[in-house]
Amino acid sequence: MNLFPSRRRPAPRIQAGDDLQANAPLRLDGVTSHALETGRSRLLTTAAMFFLAYSVIGLRLLDVSVLDRSTGHAAPTATSRDPADIVRADITDRNGAILATSLPTVSLYAQANEVQDPAEATRKLIGVLPDLNAAEIQERLSSKRPFVYLRRNLTPRQQYDVNALGIPGLYFEKDERRVYPHGDLAAHIVGMTDVDNKGVSGIERRFDSRLRTDHQPLRLSIDIRMQEIVHDEVAKSMKEFSALGAVGLVMDVHTGEVLAMVSLPDFDPNDPPGGNDVRLFNRATKGLYEMGSTFKLFNTAAALDYGVATPTSSFDATQPLHLAGAVIHDDHPQARWLTVPEILIYSSNIGAARMALDLGAANQRAFLDRVGLLAPTGIELPETSTPQVPRVWREINTATIGFGHGISVTPLHLITGVSALVNGGEFHRATLLARAPGAAIEEERVTKKKTSDELRQMMRMVVAQGTGKYADVPGYFVGGKTGTAEKAVNGSYRRKAVLSSFIAAFPIDAPRYCVLVMIDEPQGTKETHGFITGGWTAAPAVARIIAQIAPLTGMLPRREMQTPGFVDGWATRDVARAD
Amino acid sequence: MLGRDSRLSMRLNHTEMSWREKLWQINWGLLALITAVTGIGLLTLYSAAQGHIQPWALKQFLRFLLGMGILFMVAMVDIRFWMRHAYTLYMIAMVLLVAVQVRGTVGMGAQRWIDLGFIQLQPSEIMKIALVLSLARYFHGATVQETGRPLFLVPPLIMVLAPTGLVMKQPDLGTALMLMMSSGAIFFMAGVRLWKFGVLIAGGLAAVPVAWGFLHDYQRKRLEVFLNPDEDPLGAGYHITQSKIALGSGGLFGKGFLHGTQSRLDFLPEKQTDFIFTMFGEEWGMIGGLVLLTLYALLVAYGYAIALRCRSQFGRLVALGITTTFFLYFFINTAMVMGLVPVVGVPLPLISYGGTAMLSLLFGFGLLMSAYIHRDVPIGRRGAHED
Repeated sequence: MNLFPSRRRPAPRIQAGDDLQANAPLRLDGVTSHALETGRSRLLTTAAMFFLAYSVIGLRLLDVSVLDRSTGHAAPTATSRDPADIVRADITDRNGAILATSLPTVSLYAQANEVQDPAEATRKLIGVLPDLNAAEIQERLSSKRPFVYLRRNLTPRQQYDVNALGIPGLYFEKDERRVYPHGDLAAHIVGMTDVDNKGVSGIERRFDSRLRTDHQPLRLSIDIRMQEIVHDEVAKSMKEFSALGAVGLVMDVHTGEVLAMVSLPDFDPNDPPGGNDVRLFNRATKGLYEMGSTFKLFNTAAALDYGVATPTSSFDATQPLHLAGAVIHDDHPQARWLTVPEILIYSSNIGAARMALDLGAANQRAFLDRVGLLAPTGIELPETSTPQVPRVWREINTATIGFGHGISVTPLHLITGVSALVNGGEFHRATLLARAPGAAIEEERVTKKKTSDELRQMMRMVVAQGTGKYADVPGYFVGGKTGTAEKAVNGSYRRKAVLSSFIAAFPIDAPRYCVLVMIDEPQGTKETHGFITGGWTAAPAVARIIAQIAPLTGMLPRREMQTPGFVDGWATRDVARAD
Repeated sequence: MLGRDSRLSMRLNHTEMSWREKLWQINWGLLALITAVTGIGLLTLYSAAQGHIQPWALKQFLRFLLGMGILFMVAMVDIRFWMRHAYTLYMIAMVLLVAVQVRGTVGMGAQRWIDLGFIQLQPSEIMKIALVLSLARYFHGATVQETGRPLFLVPPLIMVLAPTGLVMKQPDLGTALMLMMSSGAIFFMAGVRLWKFGVLIAGGLAAVPVAWGFLHDYQRKRLEVFLNPDEDPLGAGYHITQSKIALGSGGLFGKGFLHGTQSRLDFLPEKQTDFIFTMFGEEWGMIGGLVLLTLYALLVAYGYAIALRCRSQFGRLVALGITTTFFLYFFINTAMVMGLVPVVGVPLPLISYGGTAMLSLLFGFGLLMSAYIHRDVPIGRRGAHED
């Protein structure tokens, strides 16, 4: 073991531990030799331990720098998020635009028993977090409890500032904040979470466990661009007519996917109102309304489908109809016999009631059931309602349901049912989830194709010549139906408190989308000459919506309808003469 | 062995060495290794400052020059001088350690420094050397029978535990551990029976729950995070995570000098001090890291061989104590940055930026050199050249 032989002298033959005295002869007694043995073995042990430690370090270096590729590339920057770290999945629209996402944040809490001077700590904290309530904070800091929240979800800047205060007993815990980048735009659809990131409404609540367990984004059927357009236009109308509220819906008639759903007034889920604030109420899926004249579409379709009427049959609307002590009037009385299209065009209650009576209660009920108007819609939201239908389906019920009174459904029911009427007669359950392309869609035939064709011809006439003129958009061949339902207050109807609506489908010869706008208690304006009916209030909003969303879907305006046998302005002459 | 040649007998008779003789005896290999490692350190500091000698590399180089001067002076002094004054040095270090408790400068949340104006003195570094010297003196000339007596071991145990306790209180967990472990090595080499180590370790383990209570929150957090670093990747585990990422991104051959992105972009904290090995590893890769480790290994092997070669028990124990201290420095540091042991704040010897550690290390190497130069000088029980 002599590593350092002197260059000048040959190595002295001396071993470690030799007890050498100058020139003394070397004698090893038993004790000394034992000590020597111990010394040598311990030197060797030490060397072995050094070697072992080296090997560990060397192997670890190999492991960290070359073998452990995952760590090396998983998180290259401090700002990138580790997917496993995010507890709640994103919610996106059908095109992947983010509707709800989670930001990692920190929350400030205190171990109050460690806080030395609550008053001083409070004063300092208020200095950097001015939105805190001083009295409340001081009370919490003085509580001596081992855990009190001081503020949830600090920004990094705020965290830095609080840290810089250096108050003992204050700690941060990792937290997560739900962020809704579109604010109020899709508030009623997406819903919101509470401070503990638990879904309390909307999709957030309905899919709470899914969002917690599966980190893949949840893709909705909503198209945020259409949502924006609908939100904008409906809000405009609500303001124009000083209305209490409004609803806007767009549905893909071939899939049942909801592309836009607006319920006003709404709220910003980033800063939600508390308690039972009226803004939290989703009128589109939870509000039950007597829809009024838009229901005549169902009435007419049922009559056509059961063979009770044809497009050329007529019904007597010369006088108000007396039935079981009630009188049914027309809003636009023609005082003559009306053909089936005319009943829609003039929105004749008398004609619709007579048609309903011819159809009969049993058929009417069966038909409404088929188009989903007697059961919950099955939409993926917790805020839903079951339609209110007569417990006993008498003759008077049959007659009033013919023009949309005596039955309450949600706006979503209406658009889902009308979608089935206009798409050729196939019913699809309404959904807020994007359908995978090519996936089989569950559908149920509810009317003959011929019924759908005939009804669409009439819907086109309502817009071309009837009460829905303001819903027309040149080149897109809108068809639809107005609705102006008097609101039932304390068991009687108020003429000035109405629910105006317009349901449209376009292009009517081969519909792709249904649009519904509903305005709750509009007030007449100078521009509408004081009229508050659906044709004056809701129809223009529908037109503005269609004018914007149709180009968005790649539809080009056309000069003529393309479907053979479908004529724009069918029966024009008859109507003109009737006018 | 009466056939010993005349030169040896002449050498052994001649216990006082001349300056010229001492200079001839200087171990140039050891110096070359120290210079090589420091050179790597200066290059890395240059890179850490984005290719500038300010603020670290130049200052560290000047310290190195000063330290080399100290090394030579310490090496030239007769080793018996160091033995005679071992306890004095120990007392001075103790006084300084107490002083730092009473009126020290608080930095990075710990009381560790005494500000002397021109230099920030860290008494715990002095204590590392002083403790080695004192223990070596205590066990020098102790017979096997003495070493076997439990009572004989009480004074050195107190000698170890008193400064360890003070350092722990600063709080400086890394240095406290190093004091304990290098002392343990000296006890071991002095021939203390193994079962006594067993008793001490068992006692130490039993004291763990008590010690846990004395630990500061940040120290507990470090231990918890060490046990599960992924639990808090952006908080206390950030150091380790970033360090492992940087090392991993270096790969086999590294990203090249001045091209370490993780360190450059400041993802890596303390890149010029405790985490400098990570920065080095990122730029030079695993190969560079292994080369550096090999240099360290050679240094330790030199120290070990010097210990082996020393005739006197004192010289051997000092050499071994210094070597072990050096070894612990780099072992704890590299193990720390690679996530093998908790982050305890131990610098990489001769490479990390820092004055006291550099100077005390070179002082220690001076002692090692002195032990080598005077390897054949017999030392009596009290440090005189003859009993």
